[in-house]
Amino acid sequence: MTVSRAFWKIALKNIGTIILYTGLLIMFGTMNMSSGASTTQFEATKPTVVVFNHDKEAGVTKGLIEYLDKNAEIAKDYADDDRLKDALFYERVMLVLDIPEEYHQEFALGHEPELKMRSSSGYSAELAKVIVRRYLSAAKAYTSLGLNDEELRAKVEESLGNEIVVETASAADTSKYTVATRYFSFANYSILACVITIICLIMMSFNRLEVRKRNLVSSIEISKMNRVLLRNCCIYSLAVWLFFVAISFFVVGFDVMWGIHGLLYATNALIFSGCATTVAFLVSHFVNSQGAVSGMMNVIALGSSFLCGAFVPAEYLPDAVLAFAHIMPSYYFIDGSNKIMALEDYSFNSLLPVFVNMGIVLAFAIAFALITNYVSKKKQKIA
Amino acid sequence: MFWHNYKYALKTLVKNKSLVFWTLAFPFILAIFFNLAFSRLHDYDVFEPFDIAVVRDDAYRKETVFAEAFGSLTRGDERLFKAKFSTRDEAEKLLSEEKVEGIVYVEDGQAHVKIKKNGTNQTVLKMATEQVAQSAGMINDIAAAEAERSGGAMNQFEIYAKAVEIVQNAEPKIEDDSHVMNVVSIEFFTLIAMACMQGAMLSTEMLNRCLPNLSHRGKRVAIAPTKKSRVILSNTLAGYTVLLVSVILLILFMRFVLGVDFGTHTWLIMALAAVGSLTATMMGMLLAVAFKMNDNAKQVVVLSVTMVGCLFAGMFGGMKIIFDEACPWMNKINPVGLITDGFYSLLYYEDATRFIVNVVSLLVIAAVFFVLSVRSLRRARYDSI
Repeated sequence: MTVSRAFWKIALKNIGTIILYTGLLIMFGTMNMSSGASTTQFEATKPTVVVFNHDKEAGVTKGLIEYLDKNAEIAKDYADDDRLKDALFYERVMLVLDIPEEYHQEFALGHEPELKMRSSSGYSAELAKVIVRRYLSAAKAYTSLGLNDEELRAKVEESLGNEIVVETASAADTSKYTVATRYFSFANYSILACVITIICLIMMSFNRLEVRKRNLVSSIEISKMNRVLLRNCCIYSLAVWLFFVAISFFVVGFDVMWGIHGLLYATNALIFSGCATTVAFLVSHFVNSQGAVSGMMNVIALGSSFLCGAFVPAEYLPDAVLAFAHIMPSYYFIDGSNKIMALEDYSFNSLLPVFVNMGIVLAFAIAFALITNYVSKKKQKIA
Repeated sequence: MFWHNYKYALKTLVKNKSLVFWTLAFPFILAIFFNLAFSRLHDYDVFEPFDIAVVRDDAYRKETVFAEAFGSLTRGDERLFKAKFSTRDEAEKLLSEEKVEGIVYVEDGQAHVKIKKNGTNQTVLKMATEQVAQSAGMINDIAAAEAERSGGAMNQFEIYAKAVEIVQNAEPKIEDDSHVMNVVSIEFFTLIAMACMQGAMLSTEMLNRCLPNLSHRGKRVAIAPTKKSRVILSNTLAGYTVLLVSVILLILFMRFVLGVDFGTHTWLIMALAAVGSLTATMMGMLLAVAFKMNDNAKQVVVLSVTMVGCLFAGMFGGMKIIFDEACPWMNKINPVGLITDGFYSLLYYEDATRFIVNVVSLLVIAAVFFVLSVRSLRRARYDSI
C-alpha cells in the first residue's frame, strides 16, 4: 500500500506532462479532421489558381477562365504581391496566370501572344499548368479550322468536355478511417512520451541510492515491492491508453470507433502501450536525473515518430529510413494502423497482416522485458 | 574583473549537461530527424513513372489513333507509365493485388480508367488518358475538316499526318517565371528559431546564480565587493556567447552537412542569428528577474513559450500562413515567427525590406525585455534576517 501510494503521488505530481502530450494529440488529431478522399468514386485534385486578366472576357480568354473555373479553384483575394508570394511558397496558391491585354484578339489572328505564369513547386502546380496548356493547345489546334470566337470556344469546350469514364474497384469506402489512422499514428508520440516520462521519474525516485538502501533494509520483500511497482506501472499505462482511446471517440468520431475498425485500432494501441511500458522500464535503469529522463524521452519518442511515419506518412519517407525503422516497435504499430485502415472485410486472410504486426510489437515487448530483467539483476548489487 | 567573471560563467555553462543538451544537442538531433523525415517530401514532387495495366484487346487495337498516342506515353526516357499490356482478367487481378495503380481499357469506342483508390498517381493516369483521348478526338475532327477542304486532293494518310502535325504543334506560348521553392526549408528555419529561443534558459540560469533571493551563490555575489551590474552583464554575456556559438554551429551543420538552402547572404544570416540570440537572452534575463519561480518552472515557461511560438511560426506542418492570414499581428510579435520569417525573406525575397523589418522588430522586443529587466533589478534591497 505504501509503495502504491508513493507511486501515484509521484505520478500525480507530473500530471502536467500527461496534459501537455494529450493536448498535442488532440491538436494534431483535430488538425487532420478533414477525412481523405472517398475511395468509392474518383475525385480529381483541383489546384488553386489566381488569374490576373488584363484582357476583355471574350474569345479564348473567356473560354480559358471558364475552363479554369470548372477544373481548378480560382482564388480572388490576392491583390497584394507579398501575400501572393507567400501563398505560392506555402502552396496555398499553385499557379498565378497573367493574361495580357488584347490576348484573345491576337490569339484569334494566330499571332501567338504570350501568357505569363508563376507557379509553386510540386505536383498540384504541375497539374494547374497542364490544365492551362491543355485548353490553349486545343484552342490553337482548332484555329486551323478558321472558326470565329464563339465557334472556337464551343468546339474546344466540346472536345475537352469528352471526359473519360473512371471506375473504382473498391467495394468499401476505407477513406473514412484516414482521421483515425492519423490519430493513432500520432498517438505513438503521445503514448511513448506519457509512459516513458512518468514511469522513468517514478522508477528513478525508487532507484535513488539512499531510497534503495532504505527499502532493502525495510520489512517489505524486494520482490513484492517490484511486483507492486510493476502492477502500478501497468495500471498507469492502461489508464493512459484508456484515456487516449476515450478521446479518440470525440476526435475521430463515434461512427468509426464504435465498430470493428475502432476495436482493432484500440487493441493495436493497447499492445503498443504495453510495449512502451517495457521500454520505459528499460530506460529507467539508465537515467538518474529529471533532465536525463526528459532527454531520453525526447530522443526515443521524437526519433521513433519521425523515422516510423507518425509525423510524416511512411510513403513520403526515404527507403533507407523505412528500412532502418523496421528495428523499432513504433514502425509495426503505425504500419498496423495503416493496415487496419485498408481493411475492406474482416475475413481471417484480411486480418492476418494486422495480427502479424500486433504479434511483432508483442515480441518487442517481451524482448525489452527480458533485457530489463537482465540489466536489473546486474545492477542489484550495492557496494 | 568583468572578463574574469565572464570566463568562469562560460566554464559553468558548458559543464551544465542539461543546458548543453537542450541548447546544443537537442536542436542537432531534431535537425537530423527533420532531414531524414522530410528529405523525400520535396523530392516526392519529382515525377516517377508508375505501373499501370493496359487491356490490349480488339476494342483497343481498333482505336488506332488513341492506341498509338497512348503507347507513346509508355515508351522512352520521359515515359509517364510503366505499362503491362494484358487481358482484362489479368489486368483486374493486378489491380486487386495493388500491383498496378490503375487499368486503361477501351469499350464502345471510349477510353475507360479503373482505379482502386484515389491519389496523385490516379489523377495523373486519368488526366493523361483523357488528354490522349481528347487529342485523338481533335485529330479526327481536324482530319475530317481537312478532308472536306482538300476535296479529295489528299489521301487519307496525308490528311491524318497533317492533322497529327497540327495537334502536335499546337503548343501555346507561355513565359514560365516560376522559382524552385522548398516549403520544407521553413521547418529548418523554425528549428533555428527554436534553438535561439530555448537559449533563454542559459541567461535565466546565469541570472539565477547572481540573485540573492534565488541561489546561495547569489547571496555570496550580493555581499562581494564587486559592482552588481558588472557581474550580471558578464554572466548574461557568457550566456549569449554560448547561445550564439551553438546557433551558428547549428546553421553550419544544417548548411554543410544536411544541405539546407539558406541563400547566399551569409553575413545577414549570421546577423539574424545574433539578433535572435540576443532577443532570447533578454527574454531569459527578464524571466529570471521578474518572476519568482523555481528553476524547473522557469525552464517549463521557456519551453512552453518557445513551442507555442514554433506552432505559430510553422514548425508543425506549414501552419504559419494559416495563422498569418487569420491573425496577421501574431507573428509580428512572436520572436520565433520573426526569426523564421527573417530566414525565409533572405532566401525568397530580393528586396531586403522585409528582412530589415524582422530584425528591427526583434531588436525592439529585446530592448523591451532589457528595460523591464533593468527596472526589476534596479535598487533591489533584501531584508536582513
